[in-house]
Amino acid sequence: MHNIFGGLAQGVIYSLVALSLVIIWQSTHVLNFAQGAMGMFATYIGMTEIDRGLGYWWCVVLSVLVGMALGGATERVLIRPLYGKPEINPIVVMVGFLGVLEALAAAIWTSTTRNITEPFSQIYYQSHGHLVFLSPFVIFQILLAMGIMLTIAALFRFTKLGLQLRASALAPEVSRLLGVRVSRMLTIGWILSAGVGAIAAVIVASGSFGLFPTNMDGIFVAGFIAAAVGGLESPIGAVAGGLLIGLAEQFILAYWSPNVAPLGGIIILVVALMIRPQGLFSKNVSRRV
Amino acid sequence: MFTGRLRRSTTLLSVSALTLGMVSTGLLTNSASGASATPGVTKTSITIGASVPLSGVAASYAPVSGAANAVFKYIDSKGGVNGRKIKYIRLDDCYDLASYGLGCTAGASVTTLSQNQALVAQDHVFATVGSLGTAAEESVLSYLKQNGVPQLFVNSGSSAWDQPSKYPNLFGFQTSYQAEGKIFARYIKSKYAGQTVGFIGQNDDFGANGFLGLQDGGLNIASANQLSYNAADAITGSSSDIQADVATLQTNKVQVVVLDSVPGFTAGILTVAKLLGYSPTWVISNVGADPTSVNNVGEAGAITLDYFPAVTNNSDPWIPWLRKVLLADKTDFPTFTSSSVITGNELYGAGFAVAFAETLKAEGKTVTRAGFVKELKSITLATPSTTPLKYSSSNHQGLQGGVIATIAPNGSLAPVKALLTNTTVFTTGNDKKSPIKVSTKLSVSAIPSWMK
Amino acid sequence: MSWWTTLIKQETTRSRVLAVTLLTLLTLAITFILPPVADSELAGGAAIAIVILGLSWLIGWSGQISLGNSGFMAVGAYAAGIWAHHHTTTPLLFTFVLAIVAGGLSGLVIAIPSTRLRGPYLAGMTLAFSAAITPLAQNFTSVTGGEGGLFLNSLVTPHWFTNLFSGPNAAIDANAQWTADLAVVVAGVMFFIMANLFHSRVGRAMRLVRDNEVAAELMGVHLSRTRTMAFVIAAAFAGLGGALYSLLEASVRPETFPLTLSITLLTLMVLGGIGTLSGAVLGGIIFSFSATLVAHVNSLTGVNPTSNVGANMQGIIFGVLLIVTMLFAPRGLVSVKNPLRRLFRARPLMRSAKEVH
Repeated sequence: MHNIFGGLAQGVIYSLVALSLVIIWQSTHVLNFAQGAMGMFATYIGMTEIDRGLGYWWCVVLSVLVGMALGGATERVLIRPLYGKPEINPIVVMVGFLGVLEALAAAIWTSTTRNITEPFSQIYYQSHGHLVFLSPFVIFQILLAMGIMLTIAALFRFTKLGLQLRASALAPEVSRLLGVRVSRMLTIGWILSAGVGAIAAVIVASGSFGLFPTNMDGIFVAGFIAAAVGGLESPIGAVAGGLLIGLAEQFILAYWSPNVAPLGGIIILVVALMIRPQGLFSKNVSRRV
Repeated sequence: MFTGRLRRSTTLLSVSALTLGMVSTGLLTNSASGASATPGVTKTSITIGASVPLSGVAASYAPVSGAANAVFKYIDSKGGVNGRKIKYIRLDDCYDLASYGLGCTAGASVTTLSQNQALVAQDHVFATVGSLGTAAEESVLSYLKQNGVPQLFVNSGSSAWDQPSKYPNLFGFQTSYQAEGKIFARYIKSKYAGQTVGFIGQNDDFGANGFLGLQDGGLNIASANQLSYNAADAITGSSSDIQADVATLQTNKVQVVVLDSVPGFTAGILTVAKLLGYSPTWVISNVGADPTSVNNVGEAGAITLDYFPAVTNNSDPWIPWLRKVLLADKTDFPTFTSSSVITGNELYGAGFAVAFAETLKAEGKTVTRAGFVKELKSITLATPSTTPLKYSSSNHQGLQGGVIATIAPNGSLAPVKALLTNTTVFTTGNDKKSPIKVSTKLSVSAIPSWMK
Repeated sequence: MSWWTTLIKQETTRSRVLAVTLLTLLTLAITFILPPVADSELAGGAAIAIVILGLSWLIGWSGQISLGNSGFMAVGAYAAGIWAHHHTTTPLLFTFVLAIVAGGLSGLVIAIPSTRLRGPYLAGMTLAFSAAITPLAQNFTSVTGGEGGLFLNSLVTPHWFTNLFSGPNAAIDANAQWTADLAVVVAGVMFFIMANLFHSRVGRAMRLVRDNEVAAELMGVHLSRTRTMAFVIAAAFAGLGGALYSLLEASVRPETFPLTLSITLLTLMVLGGIGTLSGAVLGGIIFSFSATLVAHVNSLTGVNPTSNVGANMQGIIFGVLLIVTMLFAPRGLVSVKNPLRRLFRARPLMRSAKEVH
């Protein structure tokens, strides 16, 4: 498989998006359709500071902070009023939010693609005259994404905050009795999720794809599929799902036909959900309604 | 709930009355607008239109129609053509890719069709003149034909505009990609005989026709060196193909590379090649060789086909004339000064604008669509191009060749001393069997006195 | 609006015929008054209204969240378009039937893995489908014409119609209006069909399955077959709408059916009112004249329409409208009079057949 690195690189992006969706789903049972767009918007705010002389890494930090703030604000303003309502309502609201963010980004910063002078070269290495599809940027992408995922895992596993977050998601009433501020946990869940989504968006914008208002659309879809494949209950499933889809895309490109590549996601989804309708890594057997 | 016959028949009656009322009003007001017989033509003006990319991915082509507008304004300032001022309406269609965004400010629901509908049904244009884009203009062929609107001087190298029997009122302007390919093949075979040739083309008519032309010209390209990229990738900017394509050609030791790619992608290919340390001879299609957009990538020395004489050609009267025209149009060219470089885009726009004005003048006082088309097919046009611009019943393409030129470091195009010591002009038809004629005579004609 | 919906909700077929016919005639009459460009916009809206009908059926009456309708539109459009491109003298009716069948089949294919899924998984499945359609159409160039798509002949206006018009622009006005009138008639027919479906056994079974699976099964209703039927019907409507839309554009191209169209359809359906026939009409109207409306907003607020803000005003307004509607009037703009009506109330075990939204 000649482009396993490309598959991994794309896959970790999908994993990040899938992870962010799973965090929100676990805490508030909402499908955040605007996940990609929120990351894009935060990236615009952070990255345009490069024009004013701010260093790349500071811009990354800024983008993530803005993303987190956006996530928290969204939960408070848009999602709070919808708890207890039919599940289609928050979906529609987030779809509307997606539209607003993309249109607003185009209105403020124009929809022309911006290429950020990335800190790492994107020229692939060559060995014996053949392209090895690995470049400094690809390495950076994979390492950063894995780092974030491990950090999140550690946060949930080993910290008190993580314990409280998990408790609030699994058993809100009991947690409340034990003194956990459940509603605050929900907001924090959104904040974390948005931060992860922002990192994904920053990486995408720094790559050859560039920054433009709709750049996260396709990636969001793949991330969503990855989350569904892995099971919306399972963060590990989300990560695995993302890698699976990234690698499958390359597999199809190399061994089947480039024409069929767009079907990669849906093929995997169908197969996975036919094997296990609740997602490959999901623990519980009963289906969500 | 719906109760009672009375309510039902009242509804029926009122709706019928309303319906009849609206229908008759509509029909009556329609006939009342009895202007002149030919749409867009009055005693003192003629209205024409174009759907062009003023914003979005192809916005770099905006000066083409801008220059045409400048020419029309200049002619209007001298009294117009046979007493009629030319009114040129340009509507932004974002290259028919408005839904992609990418800098388009026309509105997400705009299409080339909707803009042409506005031009035809609202502005009642006499004809569309200089609309731009292959796929964009193909999408309105049927609509314009059905409504009897001539589609003149389409800005694109596709051979689709050369279908005299199917679309008698459709005319192109520039040399077709296929003819360009044939000429490139001829030039490469003579100048770079024996060298390995490769090709990177866009995965649509542009690339396909261009490649066909190379084959018609007898050029052999190994299939491993025939590469293509998706037009969509060029638009959205994803460039994973670029590195792979360039690396492949480098590994296969290709010495001459023909590029049928739009300016953005051309720039990407050249950038990557530079970074990889690969420097073959680049032969770039005219549409992708826009010097201003690829100049900073170091395209100097690359070869292309030029339809117009070099701007440095001192014996060409059209250059100083065009400079005068552009300087006078402060709306379309606010930053143009007497030392600004005139680009190929502006020469192109001036080229078809001049052709339109001349044909209009030759038609005389009475202007009809049929009459105009007839005149266009018989007139001998005075034109700034290097090859004759001569339409006929069998040639609706327009220009049929050009000069092989190199892109100079300052971004202008300079003719290459090809086979002979003077500047050599190549012309050929779209047909595969049509031979390539070589001439040393630049057909640059004198400017008609009424235009000066 | 409620006046007309009352008419359409009638139990007897005769009153439904009357209602739909009157509404269609009225709309046809309006096309005579509108200028040609507005007629073209109205035609587009009619095609979209057909698609929204199907979507309302699927989401509103069958309770299955689907984001795949732009995909079904594309299937119908390409099926009809590929045929019409190669057989230019095909009668229009045949093209429409082809679109309906192709759309319905694609609905069947998608339904098979989907009916066991709920909520987010179903949304994900349908999302994946409509996201895959544009790239698929772009890639299989030999069949679909690839990126550029396939060009179709414009609809031919019959002579008797053109003769109704006079003046120098007679032909142009007649052509524009004929396409609009055709679209309105087709939409009218589809509305009639949908109104009948709503009252039929299929419709009642659908709503029962949505509200109470246990009761449905007790009544002998086959759950997954009913849900599959919902997809098929919605996809058939979407396929026809897509084909009609492509005919109006005289071309079928990948970029006509992007994923964002699915989102737009959802938006229009919600604004008009989920699960209502009048909602589909309203959605179609909003689609037709959104550009004009936005232009008015731009001029009122003094924004330059070709500036970045002006060009994106439509997206901003739509998005905000959607959010506000969903937060304050989830039943759509049609129900603004009754903003406090709940969307879902506690259901009795068995629902009476007469109850409608």
